[in-house]
Amino acid sequence: MKKVFAIALVLCMLMGATAAVAEKLTVSAWDANFNIPALEAAAADYKANVDPDFELEINTVSGSSDVENDMTTAGSSGDYSNLSDIVLFQDHYIQRYVADYPDAWVSLEGADINWDDFGAEKLSYSTINGVHYGVPVDNGTAIFAYRVDLLQECGYTIEDVTGITWERFIEIGEDVYAKTGKYMLSMDGSGNDLPYMMLQAEGLSQFKDGEPFITQNEAMVKIISLLVEMQQKNILYLANDWTGYTDQTIMGDQVAGVMNGNWIIPTIEQVAENSGKWEITTMPTLTGAEGYAANGGSSLYITANCKNPDLAKKFLAYTFGGSTETYDNALRNGGVITCCISAGQSDVYQEGVDFFNGQAIYSKIVEMGSHVPIVEQNDYHYTCRQYIGAAIQEILMGSDVETALQNAEDQLRFAMGL
Amino acid sequence: MKQKNKGGVQARQQAAGWAFLTPATLLIFLMSFYPMVQAFITSLKTGSSANLQWAEPLFNNYSRMFQDRMFKTAMGNTFLYLIIQVPIMLVLAILLAQLLNNKDLKFRGLFRTMIFLPCATALVSYAIIFKTLFATQGLINSWLVGIGIVKENINWLGQPGTAKAVIIIALLWRWTGYNMVFFLAGLQNIDYSVYEAANIDGASGWQTFWSITVPLLKPVIVMTGIMSINGTLQLFDESVNLTNGGPANTTITMSHYIYNNSLGQGVANFGYASALAFVVFILVAVLAWINMKVGDTRD
Repeated sequence: MKKVFAIALVLCMLMGATAAVAEKLTVSAWDANFNIPALEAAAADYKANVDPDFELEINTVSGSSDVENDMTTAGSSGDYSNLSDIVLFQDHYIQRYVADYPDAWVSLEGADINWDDFGAEKLSYSTINGVHYGVPVDNGTAIFAYRVDLLQECGYTIEDVTGITWERFIEIGEDVYAKTGKYMLSMDGSGNDLPYMMLQAEGLSQFKDGEPFITQNEAMVKIISLLVEMQQKNILYLANDWTGYTDQTIMGDQVAGVMNGNWIIPTIEQVAENSGKWEITTMPTLTGAEGYAANGGSSLYITANCKNPDLAKKFLAYTFGGSTETYDNALRNGGVITCCISAGQSDVYQEGVDFFNGQAIYSKIVEMGSHVPIVEQNDYHYTCRQYIGAAIQEILMGSDVETALQNAEDQLRFAMGL
Repeated sequence: MKQKNKGGVQARQQAAGWAFLTPATLLIFLMSFYPMVQAFITSLKTGSSANLQWAEPLFNNYSRMFQDRMFKTAMGNTFLYLIIQVPIMLVLAILLAQLLNNKDLKFRGLFRTMIFLPCATALVSYAIIFKTLFATQGLINSWLVGIGIVKENINWLGQPGTAKAVIIIALLWRWTGYNMVFFLAGLQNIDYSVYEAANIDGASGWQTFWSITVPLLKPVIVMTGIMSINGTLQLFDESVNLTNGGPANTTITMSHYIYNNSLGQGVANFGYASALAFVVFILVAVLAWINMKVGDTRD
């Protein structure tokens, strides 16, 4: 009797599973305040305008590393059955994951997407050997946000900090710290987001021809020296960790400036009493030209476990491939800014934002994103970042710049097996 | 006839013994020894984890370690924690056990529970609480500034020396009570008449402690010593959650580095990570063996 019951149960489950496959997709993503609203907007858009039977099951994970670990374990064992149909994946990691686990991913060949409509720099991550694997969700364009009220107090305007050299930035920063006690810039001490962005604004990378480009890279050495000088002159505050950076320096109202990928905006907006006092602009550079860079961000990828890749391609192509409705709602509900050029021209993007003194920051960010130079990427991006971060801290503890950077380069070369 | 029957009883008893042993033995083989062998095989391989190839030369992952400065740093840190933390903790645990073993002490149960309680907290949550306590704007700093010991807030976790100290303090808080319980159990096995006899002979408290308590507790000391060395060599949670190895990787432990090589930074270098893990395994085995030899008084 029991046996019959068990068999019946299994049959029921099997039938249930096959019946559900048809119009349903699953997706794994993180950040309930950012990426999830964007996915919800896309699902609603597709359901309303293409297929009323469509269903998107969103599996919210606690962070990007959850998806990375899922892919590592599935890829290592060759058993993809526990993966979602679509996963959100960090741009800097995807090249290595596709190289390591080529069978775990499904390329977007045949998807109806106008790739020319996207920022080229963003696509350079998700395109592997000329084949597109990912559809961009957000836009990693770096912004430099300043507290214009504090700048004004010291006799400067947003124009005075736009298109300047880092030397000039240091002069202004010293003045601002002396008069207001606020740092012009902050970062977590263990990351090296700053050197990466500053180098990209010069059109350079930490890698050259697949090898570390650190000690021989004059701009890199100069940038590290500048960062150390900024820290010593109380222009740059290095928090101990990421939470210290966001909670203590930005939400703790210790800074007059924030430079990072534009996904940092929701963090800035946490301090409600500073509404209307911020504005955004481009980064300083070594030469004094306006600097453009990108940092962070992620795209959506189809995994080998997807039973219906055609539906997944259709869904991604219709929504994140350029639907104004998806992108408008993603911006309204999650603050997700697109790197799709045509979607960035919609009315929502032209609206001024009260928190940023009425500035139309979204269209500005999309426009800035089109200027970001493509620089050489490497699978060892985060390893490099970690060693550069360590080098900066070694220098601050008394080591000299050359030795510390040589150490970083040696250790990175070791990690890369060179 | 009689003889045969006796043999039958013995055989049946043995069979029962084996029956009891079999499930555990099988599980240990399946869950412990088999993965160990697999890990050793993996440690001789290299490449993407989906497509592992034999390393060329075979022991490349092991010889590679000698050029790995990060691993040397991690090993140095781990041994520093071991050398400073384990002796302090064991001495504290014995002293506390001795104090709480006093029959005349009031609220003994309460004190024992309080000292043991840190052990019941999850590793991650206690590490995060310590991180908050020792933050630059944290409770410890405001106390120290309040009573005038330091002039301005110390960035405990931002400097290598103090960050290591915080890890050691956290470990002491977490594990002293745990070891104390073993010593308490050991102390309760020592007959009270031994102490009485020592008292009548005119031995001081200190003499009693060194000549009676410590020698009689030796098996427990050896056991807690091995467990603590083993635990410290595999230290992971504190390094990850309290300092994240920072600043500048100066507090990273061996296990943390192994994790970074396997899953931590998206670089699934399982071959090298397994080789590193095997070195830790050998270190633990050697140290435990030395500990047992030193602690063994039988000739």
